[in-house]
Amino acid sequence: MDQILLAVPALLPLAGGMGLLLASRSGHRKASYTKLKWYVMLITVLNSLVLLWLVFHAGVQDHMVLFRLYGALRVSFCLDGMGRVFAVLISVLWPLAVLYSFEYMKEEDRKGTFFAYYLMTYGVTAGIALAGNLITLYLFYEMLTLATFPLVLFPMTREAVRASRKYLYYSIGGAAFAFLGLVFVLTFSAIGSTDFRPGGMLDLALADSRKNTLLLMYVLAFFGFGVKAVVFPCHRWLPLATVAPTPVTALLHAVAVVKSGAFAILRLTYFSFGTEFLAGTWAQWAVMAAAMVTIAYGSTMAVKEVHWKRRLAYSTTSNLSYILLAASMMSGHGLAAALAHMVFHAFMKICSFFCAGAVMHQTGKTHVYELDGLARKMPVTFGCLTVASLSLVGIPPFAGFISKWNIAGAAFACGMTSGAVGGEAGVEVLTAGGGSGMLPQILGGIGGILPFAAVLVLLYSALMTAVYMLTVLVRAYVPAKVRAHMPEQAQAHVPAAEETAVGEAAGDPGWRMLVPLVVFAVVILGLGLYSQPLLSFLMEIGGDAA
Amino acid sequence: MTQADWYLPGFCGMGLHLRLDGFRLVYLGIGVLMWGCSGLFSREYMAHYKRKLRYYGFFWATFVATAGVFLSADLYTTFIFFEIMSLTSYVWVAFDEKPESLEAAQTYLAVAVIGGMVMLMGLFLLSHLLGTLEIDRIPAAAAQAAAAGHQPELYAAGGLLLFGFGAKAGCFPLHIWLPKAHPVAPAPASALLSGILTKTGIFGIIVVSCGMLGGDRAWGFLVVCLGLVTMFLGALLAVFSINLKRTLACSSVSQIGFILTGIGMSCMLASAGENPSIAARGAFLHMVNHSLFKLVLFLCAGAVYMNLHRLDLNEIRGFGRRKPLLAFCFLMGALGLGGIPGWSGYVSKTLIHESIVEYGEMAGGVEVAAAAGAGGAGAGAEMAAAAGAAGTGAWGGLAGSPGFWTVAEWIFLFTGGMTVAYMLKLFFAIFVEVNQDPVRQAEYDGMSGRYMKPASTLALVVPAVLVPVMGLFPGVTMNRLADLGQGFFLAEGMEHGVHYFSLGNLKGGLVSVTIGGLVYGWVIRQWMMGKMPVAGEGASGQELSRGYLDRWPQALDLEHLLYRPVLGRLLPGIWGAVCGFVDRYVVSAPVSLFLAVSAVVCRAMDQWADGLILLARGTTHRQMRTKPREHQDRLARWLGQMMDRWLRFRLHLRGQDLPPDLLPSHVPGLVRLEQSIWRTGHLVEESFSFGLMLFCLGLCLTLGYLLLEFVRI
Repeated sequence: MDQILLAVPALLPLAGGMGLLLASRSGHRKASYTKLKWYVMLITVLNSLVLLWLVFHAGVQDHMVLFRLYGALRVSFCLDGMGRVFAVLISVLWPLAVLYSFEYMKEEDRKGTFFAYYLMTYGVTAGIALAGNLITLYLFYEMLTLATFPLVLFPMTREAVRASRKYLYYSIGGAAFAFLGLVFVLTFSAIGSTDFRPGGMLDLALADSRKNTLLLMYVLAFFGFGVKAVVFPCHRWLPLATVAPTPVTALLHAVAVVKSGAFAILRLTYFSFGTEFLAGTWAQWAVMAAAMVTIAYGSTMAVKEVHWKRRLAYSTTSNLSYILLAASMMSGHGLAAALAHMVFHAFMKICSFFCAGAVMHQTGKTHVYELDGLARKMPVTFGCLTVASLSLVGIPPFAGFISKWNIAGAAFACGMTSGAVGGEAGVEVLTAGGGSGMLPQILGGIGGILPFAAVLVLLYSALMTAVYMLTVLVRAYVPAKVRAHMPEQAQAHVPAAEETAVGEAAGDPGWRMLVPLVVFAVVILGLGLYSQPLLSFLMEIGGDAA
Repeated sequence: MTQADWYLPGFCGMGLHLRLDGFRLVYLGIGVLMWGCSGLFSREYMAHYKRKLRYYGFFWATFVATAGVFLSADLYTTFIFFEIMSLTSYVWVAFDEKPESLEAAQTYLAVAVIGGMVMLMGLFLLSHLLGTLEIDRIPAAAAQAAAAGHQPELYAAGGLLLFGFGAKAGCFPLHIWLPKAHPVAPAPASALLSGILTKTGIFGIIVVSCGMLGGDRAWGFLVVCLGLVTMFLGALLAVFSINLKRTLACSSVSQIGFILTGIGMSCMLASAGENPSIAARGAFLHMVNHSLFKLVLFLCAGAVYMNLHRLDLNEIRGFGRRKPLLAFCFLMGALGLGGIPGWSGYVSKTLIHESIVEYGEMAGGVEVAAAAGAGGAGAGAEMAAAAGAAGTGAWGGLAGSPGFWTVAEWIFLFTGGMTVAYMLKLFFAIFVEVNQDPVRQAEYDGMSGRYMKPASTLALVVPAVLVPVMGLFPGVTMNRLADLGQGFFLAEGMEHGVHYFSLGNLKGGLVSVTIGGLVYGWVIRQWMMGKMPVAGEGASGQELSRGYLDRWPQALDLEHLLYRPVLGRLLPGIWGAVCGFVDRYVVSAPVSLFLAVSAVVCRAMDQWADGLILLARGTTHRQMRTKPREHQDRLARWLGQMMDRWLRFRLHLRGQDLPPDLLPSHVPGLVRLEQSIWRTGHLVEESFSFGLMLFCLGLCLTLGYLLLEFVRI
């Protein structure tokens, strides 16, 4: 019985969404918004409950095969530790996001279409969390692109069309690379299928004969999945995609889509190729370097950007690479830190996006320089934003600090071990006097330095985060007329005509938007103060997988 | 020593560890005293402000965080409370929401955030180097790491931590926030900022200098040098300043320099194998003293500001006349800060001074021993060994030369002199001189007796009385405090008590006072005061009178000269340009190139495929020349004609011959019928159902065949 239940979270919202789509196609356009809301909420909550029930009751060995494609290629669901983390995350975030979007979308047309795809995306994301093997993961990963594409397109403006096309091209192209990795994993698999196994499924003896090819495939697949996880240089779709309605950008582009990319990379690294195969190779340094470049790039661009949501999107870019950076340490601690940041960042970023959305919805302001003095008018919103921002910067006692501390800790540990290993390898090569000895030696050297450089990059990024998040806060809390007198460059962006023409009626939004915000802020603070059970659970997963 | 430990496992990630022992007890006590007095004073000071809730909320939040820092037993806990404290105290600085307070708050926040990040980096390094951040275990673990050859990493970690904690302490060159933040924060808050928040930075520096790198000569020398520079420059800025609270803020920088010197000396003495307790006790007592002085002085400044809302010395000049209570309190703080014998500042300064002299004498001893070529006795030999061990070229040489220590002693004494001078300047300006504007002076005189409420008076008098009490009876008060506190510096009890009021020790104090008098008389009264137009309602605007001039060159501002351009413009500019370039060309260019190439290729392939198709259609796949279909109505025509003939034949039989045109013809109807049948048939043939039908037919046939086979068998 349980086994069948495993497929429900993926299929129920899909069916629900399609039903909604059909209903809104067949002329029920005038169906009341209330009915729509009930329908959507019912399915979402039901699905979340099923998912949560599964998280706490499903056995680790439970496997549900939906159908077989061919031979060992089957679409199957299971729920292991890592899947549980992601499942809890989405099952908590989705109902709140839906609640938020009820108010946000109140005045929009085509609500039916919007919520249909919103539901379907839930199903697809749940499918990614539940995927029991690489094939299933790949399948749902592709479906995610298709399900979210209409959401990006939703405003139907020229900009949205452009953004959604870019999104489509990047995602499909990336998936093609990921497919290559999938094929190779299947070919070299020790178990004849691609079922996830902690520590990897490769037949190491066989794999070592084609080591460099396989490593290349890993790097390709990393960047392929990395398109969704916005790894540099595949990041350019994300800032554009902020044209979508805020509930979409918040949930999909800060949580579901990008986290699915990161999740897929974690699956690929720790459960398919395996750390034993990857650790200490050039592939590890390559992906680590890519993550570091993305972190520095994202946080710098966020400082430059004055459009608030795009700034947050760049912040996502850099924060997602925190996860990948932790993952690229190829250690149990690294995986635990990556998962911790995945969870914490989800709350921080969805909270920041929802605050931005609340401001847009209430006042129509989209740029950072328009926010002067708004905190007085929307105290709750900006209170939550303050919590999220401080957490993003990594200031204790908020949650962001803990994950960053763990990431840096993993980096140090990695630097210590790989530095030693790399040094030894270098010495061996030197003593052996091999002709082609230079490359491994250089790589060993890089391997010793990179993790430490990663810590520096983290600090640089934390500093930039402080700049781009705190400037928003300061602007919001300080009235505009005071700012106008400031002699410094602080007012460089303030257009002269931009007097405090804030809509007089502007205030905190309704309860549907406030409840999620407050819940997120409380969670951020709570996890920051006490996250021991979660961390030890993550450490356990990490210990198993590496 | 008794101590109480309090673990909170799992909180904030790694668990918190708090402890109550001698040093921490003293500082918790001081914290309670300071917050109590400032809180009491705030009741009157903040009476006319809006947003009291915000003020008091952050006031007590900062208290909790600061207490957390001082109680922390591992550096992780320290860091967590330290960051909370930085952020909550930010609100104090920005409280006014005036442009200048916002700018100061910006600076404060920047220093706090950058300092915090650098400190965090140091903590990472340290925790992976030592495997622990417990303050107790750090010395042993650090010694082990140093023995394992990790000395450079230890220095790096120490440097990062020094940067982070030093930024909060106000150590040069990170002191920039103090002179800006204090004048704009509410006075009770600046008393706390200066009196106790800077000490949290010192707390960390003690852990680094006395625990982690305790007994490291080069490190001790670095801290001493930083201390001397900070001390001197702070006092110099204070002498130049003409703003009451700014002077006090610069004075804080200078006093932090004294404390740093003490810490550094303790490190140096330990490195020479001596008992570092004289320096450690000096540094600790100076911390305590400075907290008290600044509480008194800033609350006095608060009393001035609360009545006048001004801080410029020329404007508040003469306010303190005929206000003996205020004058008494201010004087207690000023004399204590100036190190006048009989007030508590003298005791701590004497101890630090003694430690410099002691080390200088030892260094001299080494020199002599080396010159004589005979292995010097006792301390000298150890010193030489230490010098050899640290032996880092010029540094070691400089730290070992007695000349340097003579210079250091004179810097110390001269700074003490400047301290006296700027306190004299403040005291004379406020309490002795008459305002240039007689109307205003009359107004000030009228305020006597009703410028402060009893509660505020109490908050001011209690700490002010403590200063001379501690100064006059150092044996019962200060020595006991030092006994409690020195354990934190890893110092043992002193072998010999210091006779604070012996002639030799009094000499240093008197030298400072003399220098102070000279500086005040020559420099401040002569050069820094000059004719200036009198401001105020009672003045005609033409009169000139002697007032305080701002002689500090405006351009000489570290923040505007260096930090803001570099951090605000240069770094983001360069990085932004790099990222923009990468975005524009490195990423986009290959994409565009790829698109262009693939467009050309596609077009070419298109053409090629078109060509192939054309070729094929011209040759092999030439279409058949089909005749137009004409016969679709042949049957109908034939049938119709037959029916027509039959009709005519029947009519003919009946004898009704009609002309052919009058007879109705069947042909058109039949033709229509046939065409529609033909068309329908065609549709059916192409339709899916037809296919299905055929399929069913096939299926039936197969089944029938199977049945047949079955039956046959």
